[in-house]
Amino acid sequence: MERIPILRMGEFLLVTIQVDMHDRLAQALQDDLAERVVKDSAQGVLIDISSMEIVDSFMGRMIGTIAMICATLDAQTVVVGMRPAVAITLVELGIALEGVRTALNVDKGMELLVASRGKRSMA
Amino acid sequence: MKTSLLGVKLSQDNHIVLARQQAREVAGLLGFDSHDQTRIATAVSEVARDILNHTGSGEIEFSVEGQEPEQLFIVLVKSKGIGISDIKSSVGKKERPLAGLDGIDAARRLMEQFQIEQEPDGRTTVTLRKRIPHSSSKTQLDLAKISSEIARRTPKDPVEEIRQQNLELVSVLEALRHREYELTTLNQELEDTNRGVVALYAELEERAEYLKKAHEIKSRSLSEMSHELRTPINSIIAITRILLDRTDGDLTEEQEKQLGFIKSASQNLSELINNLLDLSKIEAGKTKVQATHFEVRNLFGALRSMLKPLLYGQPVDLVFEDPDGIPTIFSDEGKVSQILRNLVSNAIKFTEHGEVRVSTFLMDETQTVTFGVFDSGIGIAPEHKDLIFEEFGQVEGPLQSRFKGTGLGLPLARKLAEMLGGTISCECRPEGGSVFWFTLPVQYGEVDLAKAEAPIRTELDTMRRSVLVVEDDPATLFAYEGYLRRTAFQVIPARSVAEARELLRSVRPAAIVLDILLPDGDGWGFLSEIKHDKGTMNIPVLICSVVDEPGKAMVLGAQDYCTKPIPKEWILEKLTNLVPAAKILVIDDDPAAQYVLKKVLTGTMYSVIEASDGEEGLRLAQEEQPDIICLDLIMPGMNGFETLRLLKLDPATSHIPVIIVTSKNLDEEERRQLGQGAISILQKEGVSRMAAMEKIKEALIRVPLK
Repeated sequence: MERIPILRMGEFLLVTIQVDMHDRLAQALQDDLAERVVKDSAQGVLIDISSMEIVDSFMGRMIGTIAMICATLDAQTVVVGMRPAVAITLVELGIALEGVRTALNVDKGMELLVASRGKRSMA
Repeated sequence: MKTSLLGVKLSQDNHIVLARQQAREVAGLLGFDSHDQTRIATAVSEVARDILNHTGSGEIEFSVEGQEPEQLFIVLVKSKGIGISDIKSSVGKKERPLAGLDGIDAARRLMEQFQIEQEPDGRTTVTLRKRIPHSSSKTQLDLAKISSEIARRTPKDPVEEIRQQNLELVSVLEALRHREYELTTLNQELEDTNRGVVALYAELEERAEYLKKAHEIKSRSLSEMSHELRTPINSIIAITRILLDRTDGDLTEEQEKQLGFIKSASQNLSELINNLLDLSKIEAGKTKVQATHFEVRNLFGALRSMLKPLLYGQPVDLVFEDPDGIPTIFSDEGKVSQILRNLVSNAIKFTEHGEVRVSTFLMDETQTVTFGVFDSGIGIAPEHKDLIFEEFGQVEGPLQSRFKGTGLGLPLARKLAEMLGGTISCECRPEGGSVFWFTLPVQYGEVDLAKAEAPIRTELDTMRRSVLVVEDDPATLFAYEGYLRRTAFQVIPARSVAEARELLRSVRPAAIVLDILLPDGDGWGFLSEIKHDKGTMNIPVLICSVVDEPGKAMVLGAQDYCTKPIPKEWILEKLTNLVPAAKILVIDDDPAAQYVLKKVLTGTMYSVIEASDGEEGLRLAQEEQPDIICLDLIMPGMNGFETLRLLKLDPATSHIPVIIVTSKNLDEEERRQLGQGAISILQKEGVSRMAAMEKIKEALIRVPLK
């Protein structure tokens, strides 16, 4: 079965979703990511959804769940590259993606993660 | 008016992805902006997921409704299975009795119109509608284009395809496995059958062997037993006859009657045994056909007198029709007689009154004679036609039991007829009674008519050595004649010892080829006869027979021996060695004359030695010791007169007869001079060369050979 690749970048994990995910693939990503966060002791997870044209309620919930799991495992999650149409639809659907931080692109996302880590280490 | 654009199946997880992608495509083609495309696709995704999760499978239809500019894009999602009970009441309420229908709720928010219906059987249909922007309303033609464009673009779902192919592959593999299993089973079965067949074959062979042995034992014991039985029965018959002849004193009437019964009973028994013996002989292949020339008229005469006594007391006429126009038959008279006797006595047996008639018909085209034996008796039922020709096969009936036969007569007749190349058949006559047909070839064997019939009046060819061939089989004789045609040997055939003896009185053959098994006595006697007669003892004899006794042949004085069949090379070689050709020494300076002489003498017993002048002639005469010398008179060097004088002076050549061949006009003195040495003078003058050669032939014939 196909998998969404998870790349390690120092203390962070980078996930770039480039295919239109079906539900099981999303489920698998959730499981894989949880595994990797633990295994690599990742401080943060960056999910790039710039290629996704559609994010329906299931996927929205999925992203939310992933963010929650990662937070539970002591890793920050940032979703980057969301398309405007997707954002509008998500809002219309009433899905708020609570607990998920977003950024416009990967660079911004990275900055956000680095900043939050700095904050944490300071604290 | 509704125009359907695309249908998508829903049965698997990844179909949701496909459905929303296509929804986006269709929406894009219909002119929705990118936000609306995302909305529509998301709504489709939501509804599709709920339908799939709750009912297991379904289908989606994209279509356009209404006339431009007021057009609606419609998405119809139908569930195939059932599963969402009371869905209407669930949707859109905060407190839902049914969990997990978020998607349908979400879709309501994204599309302009939302409708949900549930069939009584539980199947659900969700209809989503969205108005198509006025700016991009579509005509029917546009819709058709879009429809085909979508069909073209529709991504082939690779996973689905692979899954489908996999499924097919699995089913093919399954079928293959099944086929293989069947084949294995079949193979196993075949192997078993094969083993069975092999075993059966072995058994059959064994049986056949056993049967063959049993048959051999049967035939042998039959012929032996028949001999054993014959002797006492013959004694019984002989003694009964003595008693009936009153040799040992008078008999009372009662005793005579009793003896009569004994006699007839033992005669019946004897007949039965004779028939049995004949049959087993034929089966053992011991019976030989002894073909001779005979007249049917004479045969009928003999049969009439033989069969008349059978009619005693029966009001039956026995008529032999005159065999008018029937040629002399070459076949085994004894066997033909036996066949007819069987048929006629059979006919008499089953005829109480009326007549038994024997007729003959000649079939020109097949060269056969058909004998018909007609009776006015009880006839034969068609179903019994085959039975009566079987050994001991008899038809049950009042008359049949009264005249009990041996049951061997007809089978024997049929076997004999087959031996002679003939057939026997029978049929019922419409007027009552039956008729037996016996068809016989006029000529027995395969030798053509003229050859076999030719009486021994062979003209002796004086230019060839005669070979007396004593042989009774026409086919073999014919073969010998073929072998020796165009050779120095002429066949003088004799078909019996008597004929050979007769021929020897008038002809002195150069060699004799002798068969041993001859109709009138064996060849051994004739061989010793030849070898003890002073006049014939020097004639070389070759024994050619099926009898394999070369030792005996040599002791009796035969020169060589060969068992039949005789190869052509053998007989030619032997004859050439035993009977050397007569040598003619031709002394002539003219090569043309020599050539012509040689040509004339080809295929005769003479071989030519050539000398082109007197000296060479003298030398060759001494060396070769020719039988005859032909001498030309006018030659360069030593002339004919001188050559002749020298030939006659030399004791080694003086005995050789000389024929003078010359074109010289001889005067009285010269003739007298030559006459002392030469036996004949031929003048070439005035006659053609060929005529001269004919004269030489004549002269040669007059010369006695060694």
